Amino acid sequence: MNDAASALNLKHGAALADTRAMYPSIVVHNADRAADLALLEAIADWCDRYTPLVGLDPPDGLMLDVGGCAHLFGGEAALKDDVVTRLARQGLQACAGLADTPGCAWAMARYGETWVVPPGATRNTLRPLPLAALRIDPETIATLAQAGLKSIADIADRPRAPLAARFGQSLLQRLDQALGHEDESITPRQPLPSYVVERRFAEPIVLEDDMLGTIEHLAEELGRVMERREKGARLLQAALFRTDGKVHRIEVTAGQPLRDPKRIQRLFVERLGVIGDECDPGFGYDVIRLSALAVEHIDAVQSGFTDDYHANELTDLIDRLSTRFGMQRLTRQTPCNTHIPEFAVANIPAQLTRPDDIALIDRDTPPRPLHLFARPEPIETVAEVPDGPPARFRWRHVLHEVAAVEGPERIAMEWWRDEEGHALTRDYFRVESRQGGRVWLYREGLYGRETPTPRWFLHGVFA
Amino acid sequence: MNNTSASAGKPATLCRLKQAVADLEGQRANLGLEHPALPFGIAEIDRTLGGGLAPSNLHEIAANNWIDVGATFGFTLALAARAHDRRDVLWIQTDFAALESGNLYGRGSDAFGLPARTMLILKTPRPIDALRAMEEALRCRALSSVICELPDDGPAADLTATQRLTLAARESSAFGFLLRHRSSPLSVVADTRWTISAAASRPDRFGGLGYAAFTATLRRNRRGPEGQWTIAWNHHEKVFSTLSLDMAQAAFDRPDRAQLACTG
Repeated sequence: MNDAASALNLKHGAALADTRAMYPSIVVHNADRAADLALLEAIADWCDRYTPLVGLDPPDGLMLDVGGCAHLFGGEAALKDDVVTRLARQGLQACAGLADTPGCAWAMARYGETWVVPPGATRNTLRPLPLAALRIDPETIATLAQAGLKSIADIADRPRAPLAARFGQSLLQRLDQALGHEDESITPRQPLPSYVVERRFAEPIVLEDDMLGTIEHLAEELGRVMERREKGARLLQAALFRTDGKVHRIEVTAGQPLRDPKRIQRLFVERLGVIGDECDPGFGYDVIRLSALAVEHIDAVQSGFTDDYHANELTDLIDRLSTRFGMQRLTRQTPCNTHIPEFAVANIPAQLTRPDDIALIDRDTPPRPLHLFARPEPIETVAEVPDGPPARFRWRHVLHEVAAVEGPERIAMEWWRDEEGHALTRDYFRVESRQGGRVWLYREGLYGRETPTPRWFLHGVFA
Repeated sequence: MNNTSASAGKPATLCRLKQAVADLEGQRANLGLEHPALPFGIAEIDRTLGGGLAPSNLHEIAANNWIDVGATFGFTLALAARAHDRRDVLWIQTDFAALESGNLYGRGSDAFGLPARTMLILKTPRPIDALRAMEEALRCRALSSVICELPDDGPAADLTATQRLTLAARESSAFGFLLRHRSSPLSVVADTRWTISAAASRPDRFGGLGYAAFTATLRRNRRGPEGQWTIAWNHHEKVFSTLSLDMAQAAFDRPDRAQLACTG
């Protein structure tokens, strides 16, 4: 229901047919809960400018833990006014309550008259409010109303045992939470950063250069803080708060703990280069925040030795390329303990591994190709005997005569992983063509035993 | 061994002289004084190249035919293995190249002479990304070789792109290898341009496939004449050896020749 509908004295829960009869020109839209939730989350994102601890309270509420943040906005009342006016400027009507406990704040936002409750006044402020302000279900409220209990004062002064016996523990729990006798925590939506630095602008900034410059300044500040504690960041996030309420978050990962502002800034340049179009500054950003989401200990090192210098250059390159193309695209290969060729090596992101951690490959195994096809390529072959090596084969429309063969190397599939028993044994042959080209062929299925017509594939190329 | 030591001594002098000439001409050239050239270990090739493959430079290697792609990888890996010191090797491949020629397989390349743990593999969506990444990687002093594999004849690596790569390579001591699945008619800025074909190998003692053999055609050489050699790569000792002489002998032993000899 919007304001116009309220002005017509329409009520929640009224039948649509009745309403249509009263006001034929009325326009009806279905409730879109997913969109409502998305909007709520977007607002929650925006609220990050006040505190990193923002929790959702669906369907229409947000919880902000502003402990220790209020002075940054000129006090609690000013903070509350700031939230409400800024949201109003975005076309959102908001009621805010600020109190010692989440329960009391919730009640104040919806039923209260004094919106900012001074410390220690929780009990007295809550007393005159209706029971609905306690976040309890309507049935309990109705039952309590029948017993003549209508305000919070009515139950707060009563002996607890009979209430608990009649209405369950949840009623008293809600009461205790509102009064601050029981702790209630707000679950933050975003992971809490270890270190945060931010900058606010009186006039929003639009240019990418200004943005990156700001990030570098912030990185310097962050670096100083982290250096004092001998920390470096592995995961950094820049949050760009647009004036119209949209928040862009850009994350970069570093292979080694990082606190050099130049390098941090360069990673953000890379990242922005990739996702540039998604970050439309619109009317500009008024808050830019840089947070270190994951930090690790780094020792203060003495730099200047040539070896270290090169190692740094490599980490830097790995970070930059991984940021640009994605971590999964820059990898090192590590051997895996299986004899099935395509699974015998695994690609691990280079950012997450160091060369020394990779096991050495056992070189006493039969030769393996230099390049392996992700999907073995089907080929046509002519063999002298059905289970012998091929005499010639056709690969990509070209016929190759076989000059020399090594094999077969029989590789059976792992039956303990193959529940249906469909996987066929492969006989691998190293084949050299008349021209000298060497390839790795296999016949899938044992002739006569597993399949009457085995198929041939080319799995890789040798030098 | 005799060959190697001879080729190591003489080209050093030659390099120094060439460097002096380059200095006189006001060019900035790395002719193997700052960083030593990479000898093949085969006197004839090293003489042609003026001491060996020049570091801080771009070298183009293309496959002659589709079936020669494996040999081309082998030749490149062999060079990277010989150039490998404690520093890593970066192999850049576009997604399409991986579809065409397969993914680099650590178990194979490791046995071929280049330890898998020193190998960094980068997959890029487009050739232009691969070239950009290569340019950056060539500037990095922590890599011994940077290999960029482009599908087909790699039209993205044109004169301008290779010029940029060459300039980038000058800043470090790394070797840049530009790998094409097919040789390209484009003119490029590269120190050497090779076309590789697979060659029939000499069987090993047990009748199996012997060491990998290539026919390497040096199409363009900024330091000397062109040439063509058939060489084999011994991956155990990481040395090249010539094959052409033995091939001639082997051909003479064929039955039909023997018959001819008898009747003639």
